[in-house]
Amino acid sequence: MIVFEKVSFSYSENLILNNISFKIGEGEKVAILGGSGGGKTTILKLIVGLLKPDSGRIIIDGVDITDLEEDELMEVRRKFSIVFQDGALFDSLNVKENVAFCLREYTNMTEKEIDEKVDELLTIVGVEHAKYYMTDELSGGMHRRVAIARSLAVSKPKMFLYDEATTGLDPVNALNICNLINELSKNGTGHIIVTHRVIDALRVADRFIFLKDGQIVLDGDRSILLSSNISDVMIFLSELKQIS
Amino acid sequence: MSIKIKKLLSDLQDYYILSFKGLIGIFRKPFYSKDVLDQMDYAGAGSFLIVMIVSLFIGMALSLQLSAELASLGLKMYTGKVVGISIIREVGPVTAALVYCGRVGAGMASELGSMIIGHQVDSLRVFGVDPIKKLVTPRILSSIVMLPALTIIGDAVALLGGYYIAVFVSHQSGYVYWSSIRDILDFENVFSGSIKPFMFGFLISSISCYMGLTTKGGAKGLRKSTTNAVVFSIIMIIISDFMLTRILLYLLGFSL
Repeated sequence: MIVFEKVSFSYSENLILNNISFKIGEGEKVAILGGSGGGKTTILKLIVGLLKPDSGRIIIDGVDITDLEEDELMEVRRKFSIVFQDGALFDSLNVKENVAFCLREYTNMTEKEIDEKVDELLTIVGVEHAKYYMTDELSGGMHRRVAIARSLAVSKPKMFLYDEATTGLDPVNALNICNLINELSKNGTGHIIVTHRVIDALRVADRFIFLKDGQIVLDGDRSILLSSNISDVMIFLSELKQIS
Repeated sequence: MSIKIKKLLSDLQDYYILSFKGLIGIFRKPFYSKDVLDQMDYAGAGSFLIVMIVSLFIGMALSLQLSAELASLGLKMYTGKVVGISIIREVGPVTAALVYCGRVGAGMASELGSMIIGHQVDSLRVFGVDPIKKLVTPRILSSIVMLPALTIIGDAVALLGGYYIAVFVSHQSGYVYWSSIRDILDFENVFSGSIKPFMFGFLISSISCYMGLTTKGGAKGLRKSTTNAVVFSIIMIIISDFMLTRILLYLLGFSL
């Protein structure tokens, strides 16, 4: 479904991704790990066409999206549902209006139908009580949950993309978000989670891609990750040892 | 050096494209009428009091200066005429535009900048919403409607301020003052003064939106884009005012 072929990307003169290639199939649950500024979020933005690579090709469901124009990318973006770091909720709108945003934009639903749909989505993510809160009244965990509810309102995506969905949350909220991510992927919908928390990656993913200096240094399943002797991976895994 | 020139040309091109698309968006669906009304409320109603206060004191100061100067020449009765022409053609539109730029332009740049930093604009793009249509067009439309309205109100208040000084400080006849004002309210003067706010409104909103949407980095980037929005808007107001004045004087047949 998602194919990266020798993709390179740089911000100004900083090379972020250096000639990376990988394939992610439909329904796969993938975690992209790596240090801050390592290009993890850049990969998500490249997948949905928010950024263009300097070189290489990105193919989504057989379509090369590398040179597509903004309006041509709409079709590609409908296949994904992305939750940005910190939720990226519209801070001028309340929770209900954030979740209803796409419903108002793309459907002819009546106000009553929108209200019911928002209730349904907020119940799925467990924040139905915060329907009329403004976004600055939400805790970090609630922020992510509302962002997930908003992403569910878009359509039925083929794959969820989560950017640092658990970063900055306390362990209980992080676990709850991971459970929610797993719950949403039960019907065969895949997801890619970008994180630097190995423990959360292990909770939600079957496949792990580790980035270092703009290159993929590890791509494999749980056993390959846990037995890796790459120094950076071992440092990340030491988080698990500290917990145990 | 050539890299800097390339960057400047590239930025200019991006600005032209954004402002063109933002302007054309007024005539293309979807119409975000709620966003336009919100912007009008923020830009127009929110700036009303500030424009009134500034215009009142500008009108009074202008009337004071001119009364003193004209009195020494024995031409005090022309105070209303000179104050009126100055305010309607030049001072009123520029003053309202500068106040609007400081309040609304800076607000637009910082609001859009923080939306960029918080990935809210990326969210719009992922949801298939054109950020220019949703964010820029309502701001341009509200500015080219509200700034002329504010200018008209500001002109009226400035003329009142001028009247107060002329009558109660300079001891002139109120009837003479208002009849001078009535005399200068002809097509040439009104047209000359009323065309400028449309241009200023477009320039302020498009420059501020461009600066906001090209914000990079965090708080420092936001500070830079907000400052640039105000600085470039002010420069463009002054330059375009001169150019418009020159063109209008030529078109309306004034000889220099």
